[in-house]
Amino acid sequence: MEEESDSRKINNSFLRDHNYATEADIISTVEFNSTGELLATGDKGGRVVVFQREQESKNQPHRRGEYNVYSTFQSHEPEFDYLKSLEIEEKINKIRWLPQQNAAYFLLSTNDKTVKLWKISERDKRPEGYNLKDEDGRIRDPATITTLRVPVLRPMDLMVEAAPRRVFSNAHTYHINSISVNSDYETFMSTDDLRINLWNLEITNRSFNIVDIKPTNMEELTEVITAAEFHPHHCNTFVYSSSKGSIRLCDMRAAALCDNHSKFFEEPEDPSNRSFFSEIISSISDVKFSHSGRYLMTRDYLTVKVWDLNMESKPLETYQVHDYLRSKLCSLYENDCIFDKFECVWNGSDSVIMTGSYNNFFRMFDRNTKRDVTLEASRENSKPRAILKPRKVCVGGKRRKDEISVDSLDFSKKILHTAWHPSENIIAVAATNNLYIFQDKVN
Amino acid sequence: MEYKVEAHRIMSISLGKIYNSRIQRGGIKLHKNLLVSLVLRSARQVYLSDYYSGACLNAQSEREGNEWDIMDSEREKFPPSATECDRAESPEEPQQSKQPEASDKEREYRENDDEVKSDQADCTSTLQQEQNPNPSLDSVGNVSPPETINEPKESPSDSSVAERQSTPVANGESHQAPKTHVCSNRKRSAEESESGDSPQKRTKVASSNSKEDEEGEEMDTSNVSNLITIFGSSFSGLLSKDSAKPEAEAEDSGQICCDQMLKNLNPWSTAIVAF
Repeated sequence: MEEESDSRKINNSFLRDHNYATEADIISTVEFNSTGELLATGDKGGRVVVFQREQESKNQPHRRGEYNVYSTFQSHEPEFDYLKSLEIEEKINKIRWLPQQNAAYFLLSTNDKTVKLWKISERDKRPEGYNLKDEDGRIRDPATITTLRVPVLRPMDLMVEAAPRRVFSNAHTYHINSISVNSDYETFMSTDDLRINLWNLEITNRSFNIVDIKPTNMEELTEVITAAEFHPHHCNTFVYSSSKGSIRLCDMRAAALCDNHSKFFEEPEDPSNRSFFSEIISSISDVKFSHSGRYLMTRDYLTVKVWDLNMESKPLETYQVHDYLRSKLCSLYENDCIFDKFECVWNGSDSVIMTGSYNNFFRMFDRNTKRDVTLEASRENSKPRAILKPRKVCVGGKRRKDEISVDSLDFSKKILHTAWHPSENIIAVAATNNLYIFQDKVN
Repeated sequence: MEYKVEAHRIMSISLGKIYNSRIQRGGIKLHKNLLVSLVLRSARQVYLSDYYSGACLNAQSEREGNEWDIMDSEREKFPPSATECDRAESPEEPQQSKQPEASDKEREYRENDDEVKSDQADCTSTLQQEQNPNPSLDSVGNVSPPETINEPKESPSDSSVAERQSTPVANGESHQAPKTHVCSNRKRSAEESESGDSPQKRTKVASSNSKEDEEGEEMDTSNVSNLITIFGSSFSGLLSKDSAKPEAEAEDSGQICCDQMLKNLNPWSTAIVAF
């Protein structure tokens, strides 16, 4: 698949010429809204940056709808839990857009403990001609008022404001790892390591616990919840993945507390691959429903799997993302890379899946043609508007030109977060503190 | 033997990670610590099964043989030399039922509040741990046998060892305060113990370990002391005694006490300690 690269490099660090990036600028989540018009990114410093696609203009037909910064706001601040003497990180773990219902845009953003609903709205008019205060806002001396007038709205420069409309807090003892908006557009769920809570978007002082896997004796803990998502069409169905590599599908109509699953998806472990780290690499880091709602995709450390909801015994398809790392698990354990949580995404038609890897590589798998490609998101290797060149990692033996050997991979450059436009072939790839947006080449 | 070195290295790294997670920003991450403790447990199983395979004393194993008649059915589950060596390690000391200490310890870990009550108990339990290398896992097995059975991934061998051993020796004698200083030596890299309790064991351990573990020594002892910090005041009795004694033969004893610590370690406790 050929791609025209239209790199938008957003780097807030002043040390942009160095490889070092301020930690606060590391992008921690990327999400398109339901129309693809907006793209939101969250970073470790608690900021959310929203990009908007500019309207296609006939004057510059080759600049097909580039994304520009639309709004930036500080969503979460670092907090301190006095009871436990713990600092709560302000890193944005997930952003999910709400479907658009009026002129304003709404999104949910969450850190480890608190979910916030943000309203992003435009203001392009302002009232002028107040009686009691003058244009600067200063109160006028009533004695000087001799006439009355009606304020009128006059156009002004476009201003985009973001305001927190709801704060959903104090419902999670453990760290929130995902949020998911329900298809009924009234509720959403927030998931931490051991519990899933259901909220109404309007009500912040009450949430319902729908899954609780905390054992009475914490010493018996064997698995945690790693991700959860609502079904795209059935508002009663959701799935959650575990650190043991299993996925459970639950129906909220069955019981108030969905500890008993309706379906259980797990592939038996291949005993020949057993090692000290088998449990770690089988832990699922992301789970996503297909747009159709028929399939489920899961990402563990080395593979991406596509499951059919009707078949629980094994996945439909398994794709190796970077199997050459299997022999390096011990070093990856030492440098903590084995704990990296990669995400995975579907394209709009559910025919292609994409996920990230190391060395700023990301991989795409075409489910129909069974072809796959490895691409790189880096400044050095792609000029704006250049076509991305497929990359290849050489496992052993003779290294061909343009191939990169496993030992020269840079494990500090990892692509954990990617997003795919809901209907077009536009992808957003977060490489540490840089955001790359790639578009498909047309004609 | 390379497995043993590798397993030992992985255990040290895992302990380091658990320790570092305490000072990480944002609090302890349950998921990561759970995974690290799983690795720690797997490595420990390999390490222990490998460790005891070559270090048995035949005479002692015979004497303890009848104690282990009950164990026969369990022997298929794990290398037979492992159990015999467990007992061989502690020929003289009878095993006291660890149930009270264990539940104290777990209660402390679970609630993470009042550590004072466990001080004395832990001192005793660590004492017994030094002679009986798998006590913490045993005690977990004792307290909640149904759960351990349901979870095949947890060392079933160790748990079943525990269940069996507590029954026949429930009325063993108990060693209390006089031996406290012994267990303190075990836990720190400090000094060669004056204990004549099990000189054979120490010598045996030293000989099999000294050659390949010296390079990992530094990290091990620092990990051990870090672990003590993790466990907090439950080891305060041990720490105060340690500071008074000079360091001697740090290598061997450091390695031994690290080994002992690593064997004793209940991975769940350390990972869950803050929760």
